[in-house]
Amino acid sequence: MFSFTKDQRIFEISGVKIGGQPGVYPTVLIGGLFFKGEPDFIKAENQIKDMLGLTKKLGNPSIPDFFIRKEQYIEKILNFIDKKIPKRQPFSIDIIEPDLKIKTLQLLDDKGLLQRTIYNSIHIGITNEERDALKNHTPNMAIIVAFNPKDKSPDGKIEILENGANLIDNGLINLTKKLGVKKILVDTAAMAPGDYSGAAIAAIPVIKEEMGLPTGCAIHNVVEKSKWLDDFKSIRKQVDASSNINIPMFGGDFTIYGPINNSNTVFPMIAWQDILISEYVENYFGISPDDSHPRRKLF
Amino acid sequence: MPDDYYPWGGEFIVCNHKGCVAVVILNLDYIPSENVAIYGWLKTENIGIEKIVANVISNPNIRYIVVCGDDIRGHRSGLSLIALNKNGIDRNNKIIGARGAIPYIENLNNEAIKRFQNQIEIIDLIGVSDKKIIKRKIDEYIKKSPPSFGKPYYAIKIKQKNEINLDDKRVIHSKIKINYLGKIVKRGE
Repeated sequence: MFSFTKDQRIFEISGVKIGGQPGVYPTVLIGGLFFKGEPDFIKAENQIKDMLGLTKKLGNPSIPDFFIRKEQYIEKILNFIDKKIPKRQPFSIDIIEPDLKIKTLQLLDDKGLLQRTIYNSIHIGITNEERDALKNHTPNMAIIVAFNPKDKSPDGKIEILENGANLIDNGLINLTKKLGVKKILVDTAAMAPGDYSGAAIAAIPVIKEEMGLPTGCAIHNVVEKSKWLDDFKSIRKQVDASSNINIPMFGGDFTIYGPINNSNTVFPMIAWQDILISEYVENYFGISPDDSHPRRKLF
Repeated sequence: MPDDYYPWGGEFIVCNHKGCVAVVILNLDYIPSENVAIYGWLKTENIGIEKIVANVISNPNIRYIVVCGDDIRGHRSGLSLIALNKNGIDRNNKIIGARGAIPYIENLNNEAIKRFQNQIEIIDLIGVSDKKIIKRKIDEYIKKSPPSFGKPYYAIKIKQKNEINLDDKRVIHSKIKINYLGKIVKRGE
């Protein structure tokens, strides 16, 4: 447990604060709604209610992450966000296909939802059309993925953020700022097991000390891709949930923990970890937890 | 699991070492017959493709790759594999003509890619999910029974340079360390 010398940026989106020195704000928990096939919105509404209930109880903020696979689902999912989740609740949209990203940004703007939107994500595959769409329909916050196919070490991740590593014309941080997105979260790009997966965790304190930006990752992806864990099916979910502990332990600010139905396991684990960290850093560094911190909620 | 024929681990099943057909399965629930050399699943348009290339040029008996199933949404990994075979990579190591999100080849040298282009012909069944059609095509190419391409080619993973020499036992990374107060500080400051 440690604190950073570099000043740490804290960004707020619709009441949720992300970033800062370890032990001040609770780890923000981003849970995915993947909607295989036609979205089941009744189930989604219940899952989000459960997630928000955990936030109320424990303090760790919830960000539902909406994965949009097909154009035909864009409007349905955004209508659901608009009508069915609490009016001030921030959310993220997670889309791979650039065309869908562009259409979704336009519609988010039309519906007046951009102020609550975390755009997931900007990476080196960004197209010119996507850049234009981001300029015209700018989300309040964006996740930048520090994936560098040339070098998956923490240094490679920093290179992609700072100068684009000759893969793109600009560093991803500058590029994102130029598009008008001021609130940036850095995702350290967790890779598959056997492919430098630990670097995503090691990069967290490096990026925070270098750049002072809120940082985290989807360490769940590493567990999801593990083959040998198939031999230990009964423990898989626990390994998945507990792997998230690494993120606050290494000074990180948010975790993208996979399917939202893992919330029941992930939330208490991370709240527990946040409490441990807070107890130490308050005593040693004099860093007090925010009123929203699980240590304030549970003691 | 990696073996002599297939040095890079991945999500694949080894069948007949003498087989001339490898099968790449995209979004499809399909198990080919044991007559193929190897089959496996492709997800990503970068590392996934690198593993396929490395694991087919290491077995010179493989001369065809059948790519089947719906392509991976957003990543377009199947089309990226075909583009690599057809066009190779540009100066930035991007697969020429690939339209996936991040189609970069960073762990294979040009020689390995050339070898892949020369050794392998790709049979494009992207979008085809009818298992009878896929099987018929695989059998058709197995029957061609082409000669081996010669010696195996073992692609070397390009290692990151590591010139860090650290004597600080509490190091986290070459850029930062934890000082005696428990604060993270930049090295050299």
